[in-house]
Amino acid sequence: MSKRALLHRGAPLVLVALLAVAILLPLDDVLRLESGDETVSARWSDALDGLPEESGILVAFDADLGTYAEIRPTVRVLLADLLDRGGQLAFVSLTPEGRALAVAELGRLARADVNPRRLADFGFLPGAEAALVQLTREFPEPIDDTAFGRGIAEGGFDRVDAILVVGGNDLGPRSWVEQVAPRVDDVPILAVAPTVLLPELIPYTATGQLEALVATPRDGAAYRASVDLENGQRLVPDEGPSVAALVVGILAAVLLLAQSLAGPLLRPRGAESAR
Amino acid sequence: MRHPGLAALVLVVGLLLLADALVVNSSLAELADLVVRAAILVAAGAALAGVASLALRRGGDLWRRRGDPVGAVLVIGGMAAVLVAGLRPGGEGAADPAVGWMVAALIVPIGASLFGLLFVSTLAASRRSVAARRPEAYVLVGVAMVTLVLLLPLGGTVGAWLADAASWTLLVPIGAVLRGLLIGIALVAAVVAARTVLGIGGADE
Repeated sequence: MSKRALLHRGAPLVLVALLAVAILLPLDDVLRLESGDETVSARWSDALDGLPEESGILVAFDADLGTYAEIRPTVRVLLADLLDRGGQLAFVSLTPEGRALAVAELGRLARADVNPRRLADFGFLPGAEAALVQLTREFPEPIDDTAFGRGIAEGGFDRVDAILVVGGNDLGPRSWVEQVAPRVDDVPILAVAPTVLLPELIPYTATGQLEALVATPRDGAAYRASVDLENGQRLVPDEGPSVAALVVGILAAVLLLAQSLAGPLLRPRGAESAR
Repeated sequence: MRHPGLAALVLVVGLLLLADALVVNSSLAELADLVVRAAILVAAGAALAGVASLALRRGGDLWRRRGDPVGAVLVIGGMAAVLVAGLRPGGEGAADPAVGWMVAALIVPIGASLFGLLFVSTLAASRRSVAARRPEAYVLVGVAMVTLVLLLPLGGTVGAWLADAASWTLLVPIGAVLRGLLIGIALVAAVVAARTVLGIGGADE
């Protein structure tokens, strides 16, 4: 086997080994995932502080399987933070993937002995944007019969103090701003979304149509670091991604891209055919 | 226009929803509600038809022994497992613990792993683009490298500088390009909508 072929076959194994070592190494002092800019976490704190006691929050859970891993640690801390503040959470999903993930999160909350009277589940609503419009007119019956769920089913958005959109690629905060915000009065929309949605969401945050937004792992880490959970700590099983592993992945990608660029740029156009 | 009935339907529905948003009238609201409910039913029916079509297609592949039999068995087996778990007598549908386990223990990790493969496939695609010596590929890969470096989660002064630079690129060049694209798309959508409403067709006129 030639040296080049050996390198090609061995590179993935080396990368996996490096990732394993990076996860085990204590490099927290050198590396820092939390964003140094505290604007985002301060905006979140302000938005959550502004909610009334025992506020009713509609959690629009429409994350997708591909990007949920990126926002999961932040979503879990946020749900724990809201419950810690005495909030009541009503879940609804408008995408099948979002519904599947919402069921998993609801199951996790139930296993952690969260008071079921503080949760409501409105299930899956088909119809995407049309279902959002319909939701502003009428809520469906909740799956579990709780006073909180019945209250929202009867009172609609009048009983909702804030909307928390857990967004994904299929249906995200933009749809809620476009379809729901113009039809309901003064219900702030908060959002957690994967980084890929950030460029399209920045204008909505700048205009205040999104009250608060976390859309990068670094801002998510900054928010998580700023939260001081009490009872909710048991609802947050994982500590988030390994920062060292992220660095290894980024450096590996940069090296591979540099190598792919170096070949054609350093070799004259006719060199390969002449050889 | 090839489908005048469709254009008329779009026109009526669009005007009805627009009027309902602007005018407070209970009859209008009921009509708009009916239309929205119909749209939801159509969307739900289309989604169900899509799933049924996938199952039939894969079932046909197996029956006629064509295509990828392993993939067909996995798709049909996966569908059957979730359906049986959720719809068996005494099952709780999507909220059934067995369905929840399949989602949390199988579908989420497998989905995340597939997404993780983008790391490899994107790098491979960029290498092929550069190897084809396209100037736009050089720009794309160069910008990707710079962006990745800016996203390095480092602490200290260097980390702060990188984070500031990343914010600037997001807010200024990327923001400008994306807003331009969105404004352009909105304008095109408005023009197409106006042409549909006015019954002005394109090449099929």
